[in-house]
Amino acid sequence: MKIESKKSGIQRKYLRYTLALLLLALLLSILGVWFYLYGNLTETVSEKYEFMDEKMGISMDHLLRRSDEVMAECILNEDVQNSLRAHPLEEVEKSALSKYFAYIDLNHVTEYCYVDNNQNLYTRSYSKIGYEDFVESGFEAFLGDSYAKTQWFWTKDTLFKTGRKEFFIGRYVRSMEYAHPPGMLFLKMNENFLGEIVEQERGLTEDIRVGITDSKGNLCMSWGTAQTEELTEACEKIAACENLENSGMILEGERIKSGVLSAYYQADSGLSIFLLVPDHVLTAGIHRILFVIVGIYLLVMLIAVVISIYFSRRFTRPIQEINRAMTGFDGQNFSRTIHLDTHTELDQIGQSYNEMLQKIAHLLQEIKTQEKELRTSELNMLISQINPHFLYNTLDTIYMLARINKEETTMKMIQALSRYLRLSLSKGNDIVTVEDELENVKSYMEIQQIRNQSLFQYEIRCEVDPQQTWILKLILQPLVENAIKYGFCEIYEGGLIRICVQEFNHCLELSVFNSGVSIAQEVQGKVNALNGKAFSEIKDCFPDKQGGYGVTNVITRLRLKYGEDVQFCYEAEEEGTLCRIRIPDDGRENKDL
Amino acid sequence: MNPTTGKRSNEELANAFNARYKGTYHVEVEWIMETEEEYRQNLKRLNVTDALPAVITDLRMLPSFYQMMIKEERLLNLAPFLFSDEEWMERIEPVVLDGCMESEEEIYLAPISTAAFSCSGMFWNQELFAQAGISEFPVTWSEFWDCCERLSARGITPLALHTEGTAWAPMLAATAELADTEDGAAFMKQFFPESYQNANGIQLAETLKRLFQYTTADAMHTDFDVAFTNFFSGKAAMIPNGYWMIEQIPEEQKEKIRFSAFPGNKLVSSTETFGWAVVSGYPKDVQKGAVEFLKFRTYFNQKEKQQLIESGKESDNPTTRDYIQTFLNNPQIVPNYQVKWNSILQEETLGDSLPELVKGKITTQEFLEKMDESILQFQKEQ
Repeated sequence: MKIESKKSGIQRKYLRYTLALLLLALLLSILGVWFYLYGNLTETVSEKYEFMDEKMGISMDHLLRRSDEVMAECILNEDVQNSLRAHPLEEVEKSALSKYFAYIDLNHVTEYCYVDNNQNLYTRSYSKIGYEDFVESGFEAFLGDSYAKTQWFWTKDTLFKTGRKEFFIGRYVRSMEYAHPPGMLFLKMNENFLGEIVEQERGLTEDIRVGITDSKGNLCMSWGTAQTEELTEACEKIAACENLENSGMILEGERIKSGVLSAYYQADSGLSIFLLVPDHVLTAGIHRILFVIVGIYLLVMLIAVVISIYFSRRFTRPIQEINRAMTGFDGQNFSRTIHLDTHTELDQIGQSYNEMLQKIAHLLQEIKTQEKELRTSELNMLISQINPHFLYNTLDTIYMLARINKEETTMKMIQALSRYLRLSLSKGNDIVTVEDELENVKSYMEIQQIRNQSLFQYEIRCEVDPQQTWILKLILQPLVENAIKYGFCEIYEGGLIRICVQEFNHCLELSVFNSGVSIAQEVQGKVNALNGKAFSEIKDCFPDKQGGYGVTNVITRLRLKYGEDVQFCYEAEEEGTLCRIRIPDDGRENKDL
Repeated sequence: MNPTTGKRSNEELANAFNARYKGTYHVEVEWIMETEEEYRQNLKRLNVTDALPAVITDLRMLPSFYQMMIKEERLLNLAPFLFSDEEWMERIEPVVLDGCMESEEEIYLAPISTAAFSCSGMFWNQELFAQAGISEFPVTWSEFWDCCERLSARGITPLALHTEGTAWAPMLAATAELADTEDGAAFMKQFFPESYQNANGIQLAETLKRLFQYTTADAMHTDFDVAFTNFFSGKAAMIPNGYWMIEQIPEEQKEKIRFSAFPGNKLVSSTETFGWAVVSGYPKDVQKGAVEFLKFRTYFNQKEKQQLIESGKESDNPTTRDYIQTFLNNPQIVPNYQVKWNSILQEETLGDSLPELVKGKITTQEFLEKMDESILQFQKEQ
């Protein structure tokens, strides 16, 4: 036998559905978490990096202001101002001024070049640059139309001739007093100048791409492990931004192919610092959450399985016991009852099963008894039918003898008995016409009249077609017998038996009235209570068979033939007793039974 | 803000403008606690660092800087705004407009002021004068010098002076004294004189030397604020300055501070001195607002002038009453040297050489030579 077959089907299904439900919950949770968190978490992550980008942008603002202040200090320097005056500086003053710029309060200056309005250059001592070199460099163009604004620009170093793209700060140096041509100051900064902005952000990882572009979208610097295509796309997106007037965020969590882009535009420099967050960084948080959720659900599923198995056993075991008892019932052994103590409805089921078992046993016993009685009855019937011709011939002989002897009463009685027996002993269908039934009871009453002279008279009233209306045979005879036996028990003459057959509310109504003693209330109650009782109970209502045998016989036969709709009742009247029977339809046998 | 009194100049004007133009324009004022000289130097710094505010004042007191600002197109030409606004033009005094015009098509200093608010004379301490037995301010220069002698004899320092910041206070008195003669008055009307080595220059130098005989010991190499403090602390009996100082008089001294014309009924004034200008380079809407502010100030000054004239004579403030009376007493107006002479003379030579002249380290001739050197130097710088 396979192990699975030992398991309870209910338990398996329960576990299967539980797991299916949990899996469904897991799936829905993952979907829900994904859809909800993808929006929210990416927005949160995006906002975090937007904030970071804005911070770096503001740092860039500060840095620009700082460079502006330092440049302003240079401009206001007395020697610098004197260099713009009509009177030329002495050589020693020029030398001092060249060194002055080396000590300005700005970090990451690698080179400087100040050009006064007399074509004098002030640089580091090792920078061998002449005025012609300066003019050829075209650096003056970077100062543009501005009167004296600090300019940041990223260009090929044609001034100090490194040939590389470098970052510069430049500014016109105007005379404070007179309308002289301006001087120009240029500072060449190393990459750490702007790099400090990025380095200050501790939250940045290698995955995050940071870059600085100029107003035309040219990439100046970048940090992180960015791919060229990603940076190009970011720069193009920034260059597409229009109407840039003030400093501030110009792109806030803008979705591009490779991730989410934020950019801060620095109005004074025209530079933008951007931060590109790749998709895998955006969704990293979601993956972690999903991993935790899956882990939790797997744990829950495991716990659910263990608990389900544990608790389901408490139910499946009694169910299995019920199952075993039911499937193992062989119809013989009624002692195999179920004993459950689960404190649930299962206990009730077990108890009901036990009661059902008892009832089946009782019913089986009853059926056996009835079959036994039936066989006995049939045997008796067969015995009585062995030779009815012999009985009839004998009665004919007696009749002939009575006629020879001119015994009218005997002749009459034999004729009545013969008619009675013809119906009673006749074989064939139990259903007879009302005409035959009335003929039978009439014969019986004539015999009784001969036996009990002057005891009673009888009347028969039939309001239905006696030949087209049917009735179970031998129904009226027991009732008439009871009427004579119990109704006339206290009189010796003058009694009346009235038999009436009529239709009542689509039922065939038969009534037998006797003018004798009214039926006792107790007996009336017991008889009327037989309607609706089980067959086994009907028999037990009159255990001593006194006063009830005929009635129970009639009721049992009627219900066996016509079903539960048969109505039978006794009514006590002022001067007698009425017995009424109502049979559905026209008295034909109910074939549905 | 006046460093001594803490009063905010033109605060009432700014508040009135913001109330009048609420929802349209708003003027933001950066209140700076510094002397006038510091303010003017700051203008130069702000200019070379391209950080000037939209509206600037005192520009005409810095002649070379003013010329440079025009040459480098740093100032908005107000002529188109003025000539297209009849209502504004009607409120401008002709003498003020003439003083502000560079040419028929160029006006950089808004002719917003009124001559009534631009005159300088002598503020004097009535209490100290009374201690010396003087009840009235001298009307002639000889009486003035006599007054100084009498104050000195009573142990009272007659004058609060200084040498830095174009030597404003002593130069006011000296140029007023110079204009007491017909030739001197004509000299003062010259724009950028070709030489100071003449009788007028000598008279100017001698007057300066004489003035500094009656001043405090800390007058050398100090700014006007030192002289201002000395006057209002009672260390000196007189200080030359303009109408605008009336509102800076400390409350407790209002009753004893008086104002008079310089001897000979002279007031020093150049109406354009107080012309305010709009800095170019700002967005159009800011420029428009700035011009509207200057226009508002014209109305505001006119209103103030009317109030001053109408109620000034009966004012509780004796200084105000004196000023009105002096202004209406048909004074002789002496042009302000600050708008006529070169900036090197004012901002460098006077500050360097005047103390030496006063201390006798250089002669009058040497002083005048240095003044002439400033002319050459100025021409060179141009």
